[in-house]
Amino acid sequence: MTPTELKTQDDSESAEDMVAEDLIEEVSIDGMCGVY
Amino acid sequence: MPDVLLDRILTQAWALSPSVALRPEPFGALAYHFGNRKLTFLKRPELVQVVRVLAEHPDVRSALVAAGVPESQHAAYGAALRGLARTDMIRPREQELAS
Repeated sequence: MTPTELKTQDDSESAEDMVAEDLIEEVSIDGMCGVY
Repeated sequence: MPDVLLDRILTQAWALSPSVALRPEPFGALAYHFGNRKLTFLKRPELVQVVRVLAEHPDVRSALVAAGVPESQHAAYGAALRGLARTDMIRPREQELAS
């Protein structure tokens, strides 16, 4: 299981472009019993 | 985020909620809250380090510095931490001590 929007660390990414969504992602665990 | 809100969280003392477990992952970590059953991806190792050391620092800003987060990224990290606070993944230090 991996974050859906996961980006690799990119040196070209500017700090000004970073937003909270680049750092966290909330997911629902409903229906995930037995998956993780 | 307005700077006043950012400044507020950066100058406050926070800690990981005692109900939260962190599971290391290649991209960072999974945070699971055993109380509200929320699950959140922490998508950068630096953010995981910040969350881990929050309780050891008098405020969020010093935790960010200790984790090696550049000042230019403090706003994004502050917004992410506010997101974690909304789901009780992290708590203000005085609340954590009272529970």
